[in-house]
Amino acid sequence: MVKPMIRTRLAASVLALLLAAAAPSAFGQDSQLSEAAQREMQAVQDLLARAVAEFDGPQQSRSIVLFDDIIGRLDELRRQGALPVRGREIQAQAYELRGRAYYNIGLQEKASESFRSLIQLQPRYSISKDKVSPKIVDFFGSVKKALVGYLAVSSHPAGASVTLNGEFLSLTDFFPLDVLAGEYLIEISREGYQTETRTLSIAPRATETLQVELARTAASAFFVTDPPGVEIWIDGEQRAASSGSLAPDFFEVVRAKGIDPSRASARTEIANLSLGTHVVELRKKCHETVRLTLDLPEPRDYAFEPVRMEESLASLTLTSEPPGARILLDGEALGVTPRELDGVCAGKHRLEVKHAAGRFLKDIVLARNEGLTLDCPIRPSLAFLGVIAQSAAGERNLAAVEERLIQNLEKIATLNFFPAPPETVDRILESEKTTRLGLVSASRADADLVRRVTERLADALEVQGFLVAVLPDERLQRTAILNLLAAGNATPDPWEVTWAEGASYLRFISAVDQKLTLYRPWTGLITVDTLLHDGVPVLRVAAGSPAAQAGVQPGEVLYSADGKPVRRTIELLSLIEGQKAGEKLALHLRTPAGVSRAVELTLGETPQEIPLNDPALLYNKVMMDLRQQSAGYPGTEAAAFANLNLALASMHFGYYAAAHDFLLKAKPTLPQRPGLSQGTALYYLGLALENLGSEYRKEAAEAYRAAAAVKDATLFNNDGPAVAPLAARRGGN
Amino acid sequence: MRSALVAILLLTLAAAASAQTSPDEQALGLLEDGRAYRAQKQYKQALDNFNTIVTGFQQTESVDDAWLEIGRYRLEVDDDPDKAREAFDRVAKSYPQSDGAPGAYYYLGLLTMNRALAPAEIDDAIAQFARVPRLYPRSEWVPRALYASGLAQRKAGRFAEAVEAERRVSLEHPTSDVAAAAQFQIGHCLALLGDPRQAMEEFQLVRNRFPESPWAAQALLRTTALYRLYGADKPSFSLDAGYAVGAGDLLKDVASILMTPERILWIASEKVKSAVPVSADGSRGPALGSENLRSLSLTPRGEVVLAARTAIRIGPKDIKSFVVPSDKPGELESLDKITAAVVTQAGNILVADAKRKRVFKYDHKLEFVGLFPDAKQRDVRRLQLDGEGGIVLLDEDEKTVQIFDEAGKPLRAIAARGAGYQLKKPVDVAVDAFRNSYLADVEIGVLVFGPAGQLLATLTSPELRRPTALTLDTDGAILVYDEKAERILKFK
Repeated sequence: MVKPMIRTRLAASVLALLLAAAAPSAFGQDSQLSEAAQREMQAVQDLLARAVAEFDGPQQSRSIVLFDDIIGRLDELRRQGALPVRGREIQAQAYELRGRAYYNIGLQEKASESFRSLIQLQPRYSISKDKVSPKIVDFFGSVKKALVGYLAVSSHPAGASVTLNGEFLSLTDFFPLDVLAGEYLIEISREGYQTETRTLSIAPRATETLQVELARTAASAFFVTDPPGVEIWIDGEQRAASSGSLAPDFFEVVRAKGIDPSRASARTEIANLSLGTHVVELRKKCHETVRLTLDLPEPRDYAFEPVRMEESLASLTLTSEPPGARILLDGEALGVTPRELDGVCAGKHRLEVKHAAGRFLKDIVLARNEGLTLDCPIRPSLAFLGVIAQSAAGERNLAAVEERLIQNLEKIATLNFFPAPPETVDRILESEKTTRLGLVSASRADADLVRRVTERLADALEVQGFLVAVLPDERLQRTAILNLLAAGNATPDPWEVTWAEGASYLRFISAVDQKLTLYRPWTGLITVDTLLHDGVPVLRVAAGSPAAQAGVQPGEVLYSADGKPVRRTIELLSLIEGQKAGEKLALHLRTPAGVSRAVELTLGETPQEIPLNDPALLYNKVMMDLRQQSAGYPGTEAAAFANLNLALASMHFGYYAAAHDFLLKAKPTLPQRPGLSQGTALYYLGLALENLGSEYRKEAAEAYRAAAAVKDATLFNNDGPAVAPLAARRGGN
Repeated sequence: MRSALVAILLLTLAAAASAQTSPDEQALGLLEDGRAYRAQKQYKQALDNFNTIVTGFQQTESVDDAWLEIGRYRLEVDDDPDKAREAFDRVAKSYPQSDGAPGAYYYLGLLTMNRALAPAEIDDAIAQFARVPRLYPRSEWVPRALYASGLAQRKAGRFAEAVEAERRVSLEHPTSDVAAAAQFQIGHCLALLGDPRQAMEEFQLVRNRFPESPWAAQALLRTTALYRLYGADKPSFSLDAGYAVGAGDLLKDVASILMTPERILWIASEKVKSAVPVSADGSRGPALGSENLRSLSLTPRGEVVLAARTAIRIGPKDIKSFVVPSDKPGELESLDKITAAVVTQAGNILVADAKRKRVFKYDHKLEFVGLFPDAKQRDVRRLQLDGEGGIVLLDEDEKTVQIFDEAGKPLRAIAARGAGYQLKKPVDVAVDAFRNSYLADVEIGVLVFGPAGQLLATLTSPELRRPTALTLDTDGAILVYDEKAERILKFK
């Protein structure tokens, strides 16, 4: 009952061996074998399978011939110096099985010969009684005893490598090992120590013992750091990192150096350091790097003084316009602006300040103890959705040419320009059953869809606008149409660029970066030019304006401002344009009676409407800027004027419903005072309703009448034409 | 013939080039070249290019633009409104979806407006203009159509509507090429609506927003004129002591003086028997000789009309005499006591005759049309046009000034007496762009009346002893001929 089980196990182990052999890596050095040797090994593998099958079969003796063939072939490979490790294992197995086959048919001499060959090949080869008949095992043991002696080696320090005639035996210290009787050159070696050699004769059944004192040739260094977790770099190579806790034995030493032992690391050994001088750097995040020079004149252990790593921190004060933006430092959320951040690690960081109105991105480097104050202007972000070729066959994405376009457009200064992740864009476009081209070439009937899609994309990408480049097929490689589209809008601003012309991109960038003036410095002085005066007579003073507060009267003639003569109104306007709200302006006037007087006024500011149609403006960029204002300062007058201008921009595109919505949003927060005000919004509300169709005529007339009742409201800016007469006329009064 | 040859040559060249370029590209090239020729005033070459497109490239996208350019040529170079209309009609009807269509509607409106006399005709023009923003809201022609619509409203005397149209240009298209002109028109119409202070603000905006525009200089003249009249509580005129123009016999027996928009002062002197132009620097130009000089006026095109006792002269050469039906049926009599003449906006000629004490109306072919404004006897000494085409009659007998429209409908009047004045011997009248009237009265001096006929100011001076003629400088200053002093005084 035992034998079949043994056979089964043997078959399973051979099968495993064969399966492993089937994997290329199983041969270990097979990749280095010549092609012929590999073929030979494969043949041997096949033979072994057959031989083992015969060995396990009813006529075991038939396997002997096959094992002879295997052994002969492997001997030939050995002679050629092409026997791989796996070949040795197969040969040992072949010797064992052939010896057992001989033994089983009563040819003990032949069996003994096979086992001798096996022991000479692998002196420590053993056969277990668990797997093989005890008789055979005993027979094998008797053969082995006649051939092997025993060797034990110990060294100081231990862990040295022992080789016999160049073949690795084991690491010291080891108990006696089986060694084929004979003459040996023994080498005992350890890194950092001088190699020792001995010659030794080992007799069968005899046990030889060697004890070797190794002479040291390299040094070791021991480090203790406060805190642990410090990277130890030697000569530019990281060798280890301190860790763990310090053993109590060293507490006193560490304490003597003023370091709290509970904060110190365990002793960290860096061994095998060559003698001489080494440069050591101890590095840890948020700590000052410590640089040391190690002088190791002798091959011994060096325990260095415990090192306290000094924290390397800085502080960061962040403000933004608009405020309330989320701060992300290296991706970590750190509150909202304005914010003072103490304990920020010195070094390089990526700072991102995000707001619904846009974002600010900057790579910063903080020095130790530096207090950096950074104003983070929030700019709208523009996502590049790709280059689309338009043809009769449909549209296709031209990723290959995108890089060139991106390089040219990265110079945009007033927007954060970046390529959008295509998978996010594709997911949203597919869910809405539209395409990139569909976004920029939609009919007015699809305006609501485009508006919704751009809002979704804007939320997903955290941007305020998009750029899609379209290549008409016949113009491939020459020109492209850049389509700029603000989130929430449905009509892009197209701009043609020539691929090869850098200047054509610069013109686009210049248009994009055009500064929109939403507020201007303001006096409230309305002067006229005449041929009757040296200066400019004051025709009107806007109610509540800086000029009114300064007491300037109509009929007075202004002849100088800030010491500069004013002969034409435009000279006064240029002077004011160069100043800021809150600054003083010294005026010299002459009264109608001819009396000269000086007046100082403090400049205010007037909001400014965007023109409804100006070919030089990219209205989508204007809308991005305005949305930045609207989202950045919700509930404020600035947001209300931004919404008023967003309404005008929508009217520019003929989207009166959108304009109506913006005006409703703007109206409650707009001021009730002379100039641009709620009356202005009412007038435009009437205009939007009038353009929405005849069904809104009544509401339009009501809005106009309400606007006409606001007597001091103006259009354009605080000095602009009065709303009331225009509204009264349109309202039918 | 030459045009045909050039067209064939251009077609041949175009065909030769077709190996490289598509018909659309060739036509576009011809169009752009043609426009360049037009800009360089090489009109014939431009027309050849446009004709080549409409004959050889009819299926291209440039054909509508070419027809539009041909129409412009007919209108602006040939002065042939009928042929121009044909071309514009073709664009509007055959290519209604093209980018040339709004331009065609604009020009059709312009042609209609130029010819229009009755309000209904002007409304036709306005309807043409209105098509542009309604049907082509994104077209570059929108601001021009709105601007022209404002001009049409002004022509119809609907100044509030004109302001609204021009305001749309100013607010909605502030950088368009007509924005400065539109802003100027706002000021002008507001002044005519009786809001001179708001008008001054609007004129000043022309200067502030479009300082490089030619309209800026015009606006300065208007603000000066308005400020002088309305800048303070009352008009402010002062005698320019340093002013001197003309000398010697030229300033003797002066019948009339007239300042043109180009600031040429015409002096009609009986002594030298001619009207002499004197430029601002004092140099004299070629005179218009005539005997028995009576008065001067300007045609709507800016030509000087010199009325003499038996004939009138329009411009340097065109001398016309006039006949009227006599009391005897079938017989005609010559007008031989002409006192004044004026050419109206519609091209009719009005001639005042002292013997018959009536004003006679003739068409542009000098055919007698009838009496103007009616058969009532009037001793008309002066005939002028105001800035809006109104016809100003100074009746020496009645001592009144009456203003009529082209059809003879009375518009305004200055009575012989009114609040603060009584005319004694009015002899000359001038009207400024805002319908303010300036009256020379031999015995009183110069009186300034507002558009509603109210007295604004009376100018007197020791130097002003016997004013017999007056005219207005471009900035509203008053030039008065004093018969006693034999000099022209300037009140600025």
